[in-house]
Amino acid sequence: MKPTFSIIFFTVVSGAGLGLLSLLALADLCIARVLPRDMLVPGIATGFLLVAVGLASSTLHLAKPSNAWRSFSRFRTSWLSREAVLAAKLMAVSLLYAALALNDARAAFRLPVAALVVVLACAVLFCTAMIYASLKPIRQWHTRWTPACYLLLGHWSGSLLLLTLAILYRADARAFTGLAAMLGVAALAVKLGYWRAAASQNRMLTIERAIGVREGVRPPGVTVAQARLFDAGHSHGTFLTHEFGFVLARRHARALRVAALVLAFAAPVAAWAAGARSAAAVAMFAVVCIIGLMAERWLFFAEARHTVRLYHGDART
Amino acid sequence: MKLGLLIDLDTCVGCHACATACKEWNASSPVSGPLTDLEPFGAEPSGVWFNRVRHYEVGEYPATKTINFPMSCMHCADADCVTVCPTGASYKRADGIVLVDQDKCMGCNLCAWACPYGARELDPSSGTMKKCTLCVDRIHDERLEPEERQPACVLACPTHARWFGDYDDPDSDVSRLSAQRGGFGLLSELGYAPVNRYLPPRQPPAIVGVDDAKALLERGLASLASPVIRR
Repeated sequence: MKPTFSIIFFTVVSGAGLGLLSLLALADLCIARVLPRDMLVPGIATGFLLVAVGLASSTLHLAKPSNAWRSFSRFRTSWLSREAVLAAKLMAVSLLYAALALNDARAAFRLPVAALVVVLACAVLFCTAMIYASLKPIRQWHTRWTPACYLLLGHWSGSLLLLTLAILYRADARAFTGLAAMLGVAALAVKLGYWRAAASQNRMLTIERAIGVREGVRPPGVTVAQARLFDAGHSHGTFLTHEFGFVLARRHARALRVAALVLAFAAPVAAWAAGARSAAAVAMFAVVCIIGLMAERWLFFAEARHTVRLYHGDART
Repeated sequence: MKLGLLIDLDTCVGCHACATACKEWNASSPVSGPLTDLEPFGAEPSGVWFNRVRHYEVGEYPATKTINFPMSCMHCADADCVTVCPTGASYKRADGIVLVDQDKCMGCNLCAWACPYGARELDPSSGTMKKCTLCVDRIHDERLEPEERQPACVLACPTHARWFGDYDDPDSDVSRLSAQRGGFGLLSELGYAPVNRYLPPRQPPAIVGVDDAKALLERGLASLASPVIRR
């Protein structure tokens, strides 16, 4: 699949914002004692801003953005529509949450809204992932690893932002580092699981399957035959080759995977282990992590092989 | 109703007449025309097509066969392109035809991603997704003669490799031919239940062994030569 920057930016940046909102509200629900009260509003604002910037970026890949408002209309069937509707609801609810926090509303009013923020933020992350995971023609995406990756990678990058805020507002950082450490390990594990599943030949399709060799599209007298593309019927690229024909050299893929892992996981851990404790330093490695996740997301698209490529001569998906 | 096409891979000669006839008819289609050409006279011509013909080589020499393979929208019974559409632009009609409402589409490409057959192509000039309409503006037009109420690709095919009809009707040409000759839908394991079917090439009776082949050849040669020798 062709990697499109606006979508990569959207899923990574919104993902971090959603993770931050979800973890902040969760902290408010569970460990309110160690959460400085003045940290809530800037935290919600940061998360809100990241989600908003991401959503704005996502409209850039639309060929006809003037019809984008119609994407709220198919909640019952389309994951993309669900994502749009729930993201809009989350933004409204997080504004309410910020207003309640700003006015020091009683916990009885604030906490139900916080719970709603947790649920909605996780739901939006899940819907984004399901847009990809629901696509049967792309076997690398059509697995349970995809929603697991989106949920945990979003929360991992969000937990680094939350840690930055905790240090900035002089909270007891121990709870937040513990949370980040757990999420980091889980996120790394599911990403490695995703790559393992993508490398397996599970549900792999071949060009012979695509053109129906088994059903009888073969020379007379043979039962098994290999097929190759003889002519694609067009002299230059088409929408299909442009959208689905992206090929990534295996050498580059390996280098990019290493870069993604180093930036998104190893660098923050190494910096923390080396004693980086200031808010500025933690903010810096949160940004490095987000850049690493952009490399990871670029690979998510670049390494996915759409079934239609079989009709253009690929031997397998 | 389950309207669709039947494509005979035995008789298709890969002439692309179906694809060009499609382009010609639908260029002025009120449903989803025009089929914009991009750089038609430039170095890298490209453009929107509803129907594309590809060519494959199957088997190893000497047992090889060239397969000409026209592909357009399969008008799937379980069409994911319709399900994933966030705007409601993609829809399936009661007669089985899958269409895109050009006024509603926002050009997000998700339906093209959901289609394993490459049936949908984005037109960058209108910013909307375009696809085969099964010539919905011909097949129901009662001002046309009954035999003219068929998709342009079917009418254009010089080898009669394309058939149009209702797969829900067991007596229609497409249902009958498909049943007789092992018609199949592409990539059935993906579960889209494609309506269009393909007829595999006919299998001529196999020659059993080398000796049989020799005997056949000799008999053939003898029957050719005998009138000459007699004279």
